[in-house]
Amino acid sequence: MLEIINLEASVGEKQILRGITLKVNKGEVHAIMGPNGSGKSTLANVLAGREGYTVTGGSVSFEGKGLLDLAPEDRAARGIFLAFQYPVEIPGVSNSYFMKTALNAIRKHNGQPELDAIDFLKVIKEKARGVEIPEPMLSRGVNEGFSGGEKKRNEILQMAILEPRLCLLDETDSGLDIDALQIVAKGINALRSPERAFIVVTHYQRLLNYVQPDFVHVLSGGRIVKSGGKELALELEKKGYGWLPATEAPAGPPRSSGGEQEKAVAR
Amino acid sequence: MTVGLPSSSVFTGKSVGLEGFWLEARRPDGASLDLKPESVTNGRRLTVPSGCQATLIEKSESQRSDPYTTQLRWEFILTEGATLNHYKLVHEGPQAAHHSFVEVDVQKAASFQSHVFLFEGAQIRNTIHVRLSGEDADCLLEGLYVGSGSRVIENHTLVDHQKPRGTSRQLYKGILDGQSRGLFDGLVVVQREAQKTDAVQTNRNLLLSTEAKAVSNPELKILANDVKCKHGSTIGQIDAAQLFYMRSRGVPQAEARRLLVYAFASEMIEQVEVPALREILFPCLNLATSIRK
Repeated sequence: MLEIINLEASVGEKQILRGITLKVNKGEVHAIMGPNGSGKSTLANVLAGREGYTVTGGSVSFEGKGLLDLAPEDRAARGIFLAFQYPVEIPGVSNSYFMKTALNAIRKHNGQPELDAIDFLKVIKEKARGVEIPEPMLSRGVNEGFSGGEKKRNEILQMAILEPRLCLLDETDSGLDIDALQIVAKGINALRSPERAFIVVTHYQRLLNYVQPDFVHVLSGGRIVKSGGKELALELEKKGYGWLPATEAPAGPPRSSGGEQEKAVAR
Repeated sequence: MTVGLPSSSVFTGKSVGLEGFWLEARRPDGASLDLKPESVTNGRRLTVPSGCQATLIEKSESQRSDPYTTQLRWEFILTEGATLNHYKLVHEGPQAAHHSFVEVDVQKAASFQSHVFLFEGAQIRNTIHVRLSGEDADCLLEGLYVGSGSRVIENHTLVDHQKPRGTSRQLYKGILDGQSRGLFDGLVVVQREAQKTDAVQTNRNLLLSTEAKAVSNPELKILANDVKCKHGSTIGQIDAAQLFYMRSRGVPQAEARRLLVYAFASEMIEQVEVPALREILFPCLNLATSIRK
């Protein structure tokens, strides 16, 4: 489904990804773990097509076609979805109107008939129950005034509505208490299917207790330094990242954390 | 959604008349009041009697393509406890100049509200001077201005707090595309006697092209010592993070931009209390924010 070959990417002058090779088949769940600044979020954002990230080498193909030249909306139409680490607030655009616009844009792109307001309402109400989002939140501005947990649940709701083929989850577990984590995990598990793949980017093993990965990859210094099964995540939880094979220190000034880089670009 | 110029012949049931305005007034007991403006030099004067409520809707619309100038001058007098809601919609021809001057005297416990929508015309100048001349008087000045092509829009507001416990709120929002120019020039004066004044003045601008320009000049002049005054202005572009968020969900770039511009402006229209007017303003906004080029 997704084939990443020797992918290199930079943000501004900084080289972040230094040759990532990863193959994801449909039905699989891949966890990407690693210390701060290792390039986890960059990988997710490069796959979704965010501006400010420059691909400097390698290739990515999705279902046999090149991905990197496509606009973000065309990637979404092909079935790629990014659940954001920091979902933005969009006051003035209602949550349900936004989701209807997005769903119909994707359906139109794929030659499917658009849903009218009544049919869409049925869809969104049913899916919102699944992630325990009360109806009034659907008519509020997108993420406007939502708590951290509500924003993450809203990401999962959008994922459930758009039914993507490849779900990229960028630190979806960060900042969640245990109840919110369980709701989010339940929402993710409900979407698991033989036709759908997941790349779960996370710093901690916690989410993987609920969403069991088929593969775990450790990213460090912009490369995958170790891959294994779900037991690798448990080992990392116990031992931390320090015991992993060292990668050569990157040239130039020390990197800030992935989160900060993302915020800097978002401004 | 279909978008078209709001028809001048249909003001959704309300006849604007040759003079370009529509006026409705009620007595304190809710009974209808036959209120008419009087002619004064260069314009009109409207006096709202004590405790009465009036709504004035003014619409300057033309499809003329030749250069012409519209000059409008109003003087409003709000006597004790009176309320006036003034709505102004400018949709002039592409080469037109529109100059509007509104002078308001808000007396004791009276309340003035102004909602200005400046959509089309080559050169638009909107000037509003409000004198809060009685105690406990208040005013709300809101404006939405949309620039494209080489349109030049100027907004000049003056709110003069003369007596204690006055409240003023100002919110002007500009959307500027092409090589258009937008100016907000606002002054709030709090006179020595006007203690316990509460004034807020805000101007926000959204630039849609690199050649568009916004100038924002909010000013406070405070002579009293026990007041609450705040002002601020922003000039920004479409938020890249919001744009990417929408696109990553499959919304095409042009549509995402349009939605964000619409969201920026729509709150100004949502506050309009006349449903028939909202029905005209939303298509105007749609038209103004529809994708050009």
